[in-house]
Amino acid sequence: MFESNIFFQDFSGILTVVPYTLGLALLILILGILIGGILTLIDQYKIPFLFQVAAVCLSFLRGTPLLVQLYLAYYGMPKLILFFAGLLNFKFDPNQFDPVITVIVSYSICFSAFQSEIIRGAFMSVSYGQIEAAHSLGFSSVQTLRRIVIPQAIIEALPNFLNSYLTIIKSLSLAFMVSVVDILAKAKLESALNFRYLESFAAAAAVYWLLCAMLTVVFRRYEQNIRKKA
Amino acid sequence: MKMDFGYMIKILPGFISVLPLTLVVILCSGLFGFLLSVLVTGIRIKRVKIFSPLMELYISFTRSTPILLQMLLVYYGLPVVLSLIGININNWSGTLFAIATLVLHNGAFLSEILRPAYLAVDEGQKEAADSLGFTSFQKLTRIVFPQVLPVALPGLGNALIYLIQDTSILFIIGVVDIMGTANNLISNDFGSRQIDVFLTVALIYWAISYMADKFIKYFERKTARYHLENGLTR
Repeated sequence: MFESNIFFQDFSGILTVVPYTLGLALLILILGILIGGILTLIDQYKIPFLFQVAAVCLSFLRGTPLLVQLYLAYYGMPKLILFFAGLLNFKFDPNQFDPVITVIVSYSICFSAFQSEIIRGAFMSVSYGQIEAAHSLGFSSVQTLRRIVIPQAIIEALPNFLNSYLTIIKSLSLAFMVSVVDILAKAKLESALNFRYLESFAAAAAVYWLLCAMLTVVFRRYEQNIRKKA
Repeated sequence: MKMDFGYMIKILPGFISVLPLTLVVILCSGLFGFLLSVLVTGIRIKRVKIFSPLMELYISFTRSTPILLQMLLVYYGLPVVLSLIGININNWSGTLFAIATLVLHNGAFLSEILRPAYLAVDEGQKEAADSLGFTSFQKLTRIVFPQVLPVALPGLGNALIYLIQDTSILFIIGVVDIMGTANNLISNDFGSRQIDVFLTVALIYWAISYMADKFIKYFERKTARYHLENGLTR
């Protein structure tokens, strides 16, 4: 029925890909925050034309499933790069294109929609009176942003960023569709050897559960720490 | 790199014909998931012995594993578990497993929205209802529920959008919904028109999400009058 030795064998096999998954998710989170920050700035300063384009893009990113976006990137990106490489007389072989890059690009763009919402909320939490006070004290706009707004906004945004880190780790399970090996993909590969699907999926669930529980505890500690300092 | 819009329009009827299946899955799992989440929330709020910690465990599990993994666990695990108590579900279709997964997922997910919304209703209001001689059922339907609704609706709306997007993975257990049809089209074409096909899929999902969003916004406006912040007193 349920063989525990296979479960533990799969469990230790899956543990080997955990660092890779965590690193990939961290990279996606950072890129997502950067793109999301740019989107927020476009949204806040209402830059003409770019503002409307960003609104449509955000609506598309929120309205379509991640898996569909991933497939679009997987099939579209090599062709797009090939097109631009052709323009620039630059050699590019689509067959050697690493799908990890597809995953990183499409996930960063998809999650930037969520990050921009978080960043917007964080900036909103700093009252406008503080910005006026900084201006009246002779701070430049950059100084105001760097010394007054961002230190306060980060405390608001951080728990949400950490939350999306967990979401990204979970969403990476879809990356198997484009042959990138994360936790769930490793479980599938393990079960392909002996057809014990239930054991390997249970092992994957255990790994995810442990990982999320540990990260949640660490994040909560960290959040309490910075809230105390602020 | 060129789009074939004629081809995209040609394959559209195929997607429209499987749309009812997707909508049935969304409606069933949304409705039963909501009912399950009400039960789970009730158990957690009333702190029912034994069940309450079990529910905490269930919620923590659902929140920390990907929905794809949950679906695979239900698909491979549920027949094994139910065969232990003598129920045979080997002839269930993929759609039923998909609905079962989404119900279980949403039961936990929505409870995390409903519980804070319930706790947001001021304790004094419940005491006032008690002192006015409301029965506990009246208290729930006339005092608590109308106030929970406007607080919970934005969260429930988000959950609906997530539910719609989660249906995109159902093809993995063999449900021929929008994504399943897309994959069939691609294998018929020997994989030459993936971009056109997935762009069509993206547009269909975009339309469904957009309508769901408008629907929720309409409800939010309707229930805004129950919100104490903009009620009769101000």
